[in-house]
Amino acid sequence: MFLIKINITLFTLIGILVVSGCTSKTETPESTTGKLTLHFDHEIEQAPIVFDTMRYTNAAGNKYLVNEIQYFISDVTLHHTDGRKIPLDAWEDIHYVDTDLPDTHDYLFKDEIEPGDYTRLSFTFGINEVKNQTLMFVNPPESFMFWPDNLGGGYHYMKLNGKWLNPSNQVVPFDFHLGIGQIYYSYPDSITSFVQNYFTVELPQSAFSITANQTTNIELVMQVENWFQSPNLYDHNTWGGDIMQNQEAMILGVKNGWDVFKVKNINTK
Amino acid sequence: MKALYTIISLLWLLSCVLSCKKETKEIPYQPTPYEIDIPFGFPTKLNIPENNPMTVEGVELGRYLFYDGRLSGRTHPDSLMSCATCHRQERSFEAGIDHPDFPGGFPHGLTGLQTHHVMLPMINLVWNSTGYGWNGFLYPDNPDPQLRNLEDFVRLAVLASDEMDGDTTRIKNLFQSLNGYPELFEKAFGSSQITFTHIEKAIAQFIRTLISADSRFDKYMRGELQLSPSELNGYVLFTTEEGADCFHCHGGFGNPLFTTHLYYNDGKDTLFTDPMDRFSITGDPMDIGAYKATTMRNIELQGPYMHDGRFETLDDVIDFYSTAVVNSPSISPLMHHVANGGVRLTPTEREDLLSFIRTLRDDSFLTNPNFNKPEHFPDEE
Repeated sequence: MFLIKINITLFTLIGILVVSGCTSKTETPESTTGKLTLHFDHEIEQAPIVFDTMRYTNAAGNKYLVNEIQYFISDVTLHHTDGRKIPLDAWEDIHYVDTDLPDTHDYLFKDEIEPGDYTRLSFTFGINEVKNQTLMFVNPPESFMFWPDNLGGGYHYMKLNGKWLNPSNQVVPFDFHLGIGQIYYSYPDSITSFVQNYFTVELPQSAFSITANQTTNIELVMQVENWFQSPNLYDHNTWGGDIMQNQEAMILGVKNGWDVFKVKNINTK
Repeated sequence: MKALYTIISLLWLLSCVLSCKKETKEIPYQPTPYEIDIPFGFPTKLNIPENNPMTVEGVELGRYLFYDGRLSGRTHPDSLMSCATCHRQERSFEAGIDHPDFPGGFPHGLTGLQTHHVMLPMINLVWNSTGYGWNGFLYPDNPDPQLRNLEDFVRLAVLASDEMDGDTTRIKNLFQSLNGYPELFEKAFGSSQITFTHIEKAIAQFIRTLISADSRFDKYMRGELQLSPSELNGYVLFTTEEGADCFHCHGGFGNPLFTTHLYYNDGKDTLFTDPMDRFSITGDPMDIGAYKATTMRNIELQGPYMHDGRFETLDDVIDFYSTAVVNSPSISPLMHHVANGGVRLTPTEREDLLSFIRTLRDDSFLTNPNFNKPEHFPDEE
């Protein structure tokens, strides 16, 4: 009888343990972190781009149209109010955006982000020299962005393809391509050094908060006309249709890139 | 009671034996997966539909069907036509300008009708996810599920009046009657009852194995050999905007497919009358006169060139891109040399560019015994 009592007690205890174990497995702990997404839009004169249509005039007076824009941003960094810089690189630290591919317009970070207030975010336009290695992207569409090794290797930072009306009144293509520049001893055969043209984009008007268990979405807009106007006036009639081998032209674009991106909206859901 | 117990035990034993026998009688359908080795630098994403996984048995069957002239559904020697009738291995699975039956490389079908466009090379297609054909009319997310992939291309080629002009019912019945084929279908797809869907799938599987990645340039990429100064200069021209500027559409070291598989109006014409250009698929005015950029691999064997075969030789093609590019509203923005009529290569540059392009010929692919005609068809063995 004593043994039976022990068995009953034992089974009861085991049962309680099993049940409590099951209960704890089904409970989802409250998240203590938040998420962030970036969304990229592309505008000219504060309106969505009307592609393939000759309707824009840049600061240099060139009438132009845009066919497509493809680019990389990388090393997105959050700036906490306490001064810390928090890189978002848990999963994807280089992101490709293509105006023809809507899926690329959203950059979804997998990082678990500490809740709190952040003064701004910043990112690299292009890819830094450590990461920008040939064949690191073998699949399209990223692989189609490769920058020939003889010109510095790695990948285009950006292809902005369009057409402009030249002085002969002809509509002719321009390929505003940014990437690693070259310094020539004797153009175009003798390259003495390469120039890393990637640059940091700071978004001063991008204060935002991260809330536990919520996703903060920051909508960014590329204001395309800014590539051509400030601080350098970029004239297609001067620089022609291609600039991959023209550091003098590329650097104008690079210097103009500081205010190309703006924060359009921030929301949390 | 003891007798009853014995009877029950015997019955139980008998049922066990019978059930074991039943298990051993059924041979499960277990084809061998076919693994594609990804060559150095090539994409890792493959266009293999979920409903047609690659198997060794499927590829073997596909190779027989690819070469069997009875795929036309006919047996008279004058009416035989297979995929290989036009797609010749020694010409990178194109007809080639020297095809004995298609003068100038312009194929026609059994009825004598000429195909609307000349052929595209049938190589490295397992990496093509953006569309098949010069205008990309077959693409994976096509709303029409009958126009999505290589499997559909096989069926269309069999049915087309300018190709085999065949009948799918007649074809599957014919192969059902040929000794050896039903067994191969059983091995490949788990049923000896031949369906045309299985015919499509087997041939598509074989086509996906046609991988060319061992040219002299590949060996250079892998550090196995050095190219000549002329070939290297040609590669620099190929990959520079101030040179021949081929790479944006036709790849290079960073895109060893040597194509983007995308569509461009490359400045051949100012008037456009072809009802089967890219515009006919997308309705986008920027696609008027646009066609697929072909791979440059084995390109020296793939004349005539362009969708309409207007150029016989690579020299002609280089001359065009050098001096004869013309402007139009839909010209690709990548054709930025159009204001000068082209890239304006010097005679030496032309030769160097040609030297480099010839390094993309892959002789081991062109003679690979896994891709050539089987010695015997199944009913001949």
